[in-house]
Amino acid sequence: MAVFHQLVNGECLGKQVFQGFVCCVDAVSLDGADMLSEERIRLMTKMASYEEGEGKKYMPIKQFYRKDYVTLGMVKTFITSSIAFGILLLCWALYVFEDITEILASRDFAELGMSVLAIYFVFIAIYQLIALLVYYRRYTKATASMKEYHSILRRAEKLQEKEDRSPPLED
Amino acid sequence: MTGLLEFRERLRNFYGRYEIYVTAGVKFVLGLVTFLLINSQLGYQEQLNQPAVALLLALACAFMPVNIMVAAACGLILIHLSALSLEVCAIGLCLILLLFFLYGKFAPQHGYTAILTPVLCLLKVPQVVPVSAGLLCGPSAYLSVVSGALVFFYIDGVKTNMANFTSAEETEAIAKCTAALKMLTGNKEMYLVIAAFLVTSLTVYVIRKQSINFAWRIGLIVGNLMQMVILLVGYVMLGMPQKATWVLIGTAVSMVICLILEFFLYNLDYSRIERVQFEDDEYYYFVKAVPKVYLAKKDKRVKRITPKKTTINRRQLAEELDIDSDLLH
Repeated sequence: MAVFHQLVNGECLGKQVFQGFVCCVDAVSLDGADMLSEERIRLMTKMASYEEGEGKKYMPIKQFYRKDYVTLGMVKTFITSSIAFGILLLCWALYVFEDITEILASRDFAELGMSVLAIYFVFIAIYQLIALLVYYRRYTKATASMKEYHSILRRAEKLQEKEDRSPPLED
Repeated sequence: MTGLLEFRERLRNFYGRYEIYVTAGVKFVLGLVTFLLINSQLGYQEQLNQPAVALLLALACAFMPVNIMVAAACGLILIHLSALSLEVCAIGLCLILLLFFLYGKFAPQHGYTAILTPVLCLLKVPQVVPVSAGLLCGPSAYLSVVSGALVFFYIDGVKTNMANFTSAEETEAIAKCTAALKMLTGNKEMYLVIAAFLVTSLTVYVIRKQSINFAWRIGLIVGNLMQMVILLVGYVMLGMPQKATWVLIGTAVSMVICLILEFFLYNLDYSRIERVQFEDDEYYYFVKAVPKVYLAKKDKRVKRITPKKTTINRRQLAEELDIDSDLLH
């Protein structure tokens, strides 16, 4: 049950569980006391295959709540878009370097600063909106992708419980 | 046609069986071509302008995600530019950082289109990228094509205006930066090509999403023709008619490659369309199902139903029947 909770909480343990499970099965079968649960092996293989493929992309996303994931993405985007704006501003300054004295003379310095600030806010607002859409959509995709994985996980867990409840075979 | 379908199935089976090696091989070839082209176009750093360096980088990139190849290519470009002029390198770095922060961060999955665009631009046949991006990807990928084109035009501009950046006077540092920026922003050909790429990709995307027969084929033909017309008219208006030949060659190459892509990825049999109509509590459904052209693998097995005839001579038959052999004539 603990394993189930760890996996539902998004911890990428299926592959290790599968490997551990195979080891256990090997140990049991070596003793000759139990039989292989083919159904569970099938489910565990599916889970391990998912974790190696699509899961690598989506499992880290599902470690967060949607709100946290989107907020984190927006904070990261705020930082990167601020750096990008800084680069753009620098490039603009270099671009108009020959005429910079004329520009500064023709316009009030405070006015120029205000207009740069206004452009900065518009720029950041646009990128925050893009980030909101992108990260929200990415989380929705991850949820849809993980749905089947969780259903397999529950089936494997039920099989495990069933096996645990069944009386051990007598020698 | 049957032979082609058989070949397609064989190729699919081969790819399914050796996927890891095929992918690594494709990445290796792409990486090798990319690094060799960068070295040939911008070989300012002589230590790196060696085939062995390109080979080693391509080998390393073959086993890594494609975005590592993009990063390695950007790094190689910047090192070469730094050997030419630090100012040009700084502007190049700004351009790459801007592309990464403003676009690459949101769509890291389009590394192939980002690297194929400048490579094919250097080979003078980039027309295939926007059309195939329109066929295979969604609108978010088209900006990666634009990013690739921007990097190409920057490299091309530096190469063409190399004399402006080789002056050793330190007082000219800002002037060099300004020149590098003006070289990029004042490049009308770049605007033309980017506009053509965007319009083409979006047109192909809109057409191939329609519920019409032969949507991919119509999309790729219309896209290629539209791109050709935009580029031809644009080049004539910009006073560069000598580029028309390469536009025509590029369009022909693009048409062929897109038809191959269609054959492998979207080969439908429109003669067997099924239309079904049903309803549930909330909706009516009008479904059009188009079967894929699929050729089952030939698997001939001869099963013998009648037992194999064996010939026996007269003496053996007589022995079997327990009679005298003289009785059988």
